[in-house]
Amino acid sequence: MLGDKPAPKDGENFWLWFLKIFSGLLVIVLLFVHLAVNHFMGNQGLLTFHEVVAYLSHPWVAAMEIAFLIIVISHALMGTRSIILDFKPAPSLVRALNWTFLGIGLLSIGYGVWLIRVVIYWGSGG
Amino acid sequence: MSASDSAESFSVKEAFKWFDVRKRDPGMWAFALNRLTALGLVFYLFLHLVVLSTLARGPQAYADFLAWIGSPVFVFGEWMVVIAGLYHGLNGIRIALTSLGIGLPRQAQMFYIALGVAVLAGAAFGIRMFR
Repeated sequence: MLGDKPAPKDGENFWLWFLKIFSGLLVIVLLFVHLAVNHFMGNQGLLTFHEVVAYLSHPWVAAMEIAFLIIVISHALMGTRSIILDFKPAPSLVRALNWTFLGIGLLSIGYGVWLIRVVIYWGSGG
Repeated sequence: MSASDSAESFSVKEAFKWFDVRKRDPGMWAFALNRLTALGLVFYLFLHLVVLSTLARGPQAYADFLAWIGSPVFVFGEWMVVIAGLYHGLNGIRIALTSLGIGLPRQAQMFYIALGVAVLAGAAFGIRMFR
């Protein structure tokens, strides 16, 4: 009900719940930068492969995009876990879920970093 | 409530109750919309990561991909993502503020503002995207 103070649910650790909210705020800031650059930079945003390569080849941009990747994936997985907790899964299932989501998160972040490196490699004449 | 008690009291009907907003207060609408947009955005996030793999295949593959997603169906899908992102972000700010104890008595007004701004900004994005 609106008026109640939001709080962690059963099975949701306070710090994980807090991190979910805090990462959400960071996502808003980084998403704004990500979208502004990708869709509004220059005339109509990054429209060609070479524009994307030039954009990601800047070290600060690559660092920002990797930070965004880590934070948005963490927020998405913590949020999805929170929704699944509503189904009141057994403790063994919650443990399996934790490891699965940790794996999905690490794989996704690893894939994203790899992709950025590949794009930067194209820019260096690879 | 212990974890084992939680497991025993599981009910699919109860778990999906959050989606039933009939005769509910604005809080239920805020909660249900937050969840629906969250699920949609999570789906989009991973889809976005997968399709960006075309970047690894070089300029021609990326150009073909951009031409493919320029169709009205994909633009409409992107518009839905923008609206979902706007609502989820604005409502998320409300949740963050109230979690810190800020604006608790004004949660309903904050929800209506978040919803209103999301609709208006969504319309503005729509005009730009379909122009």
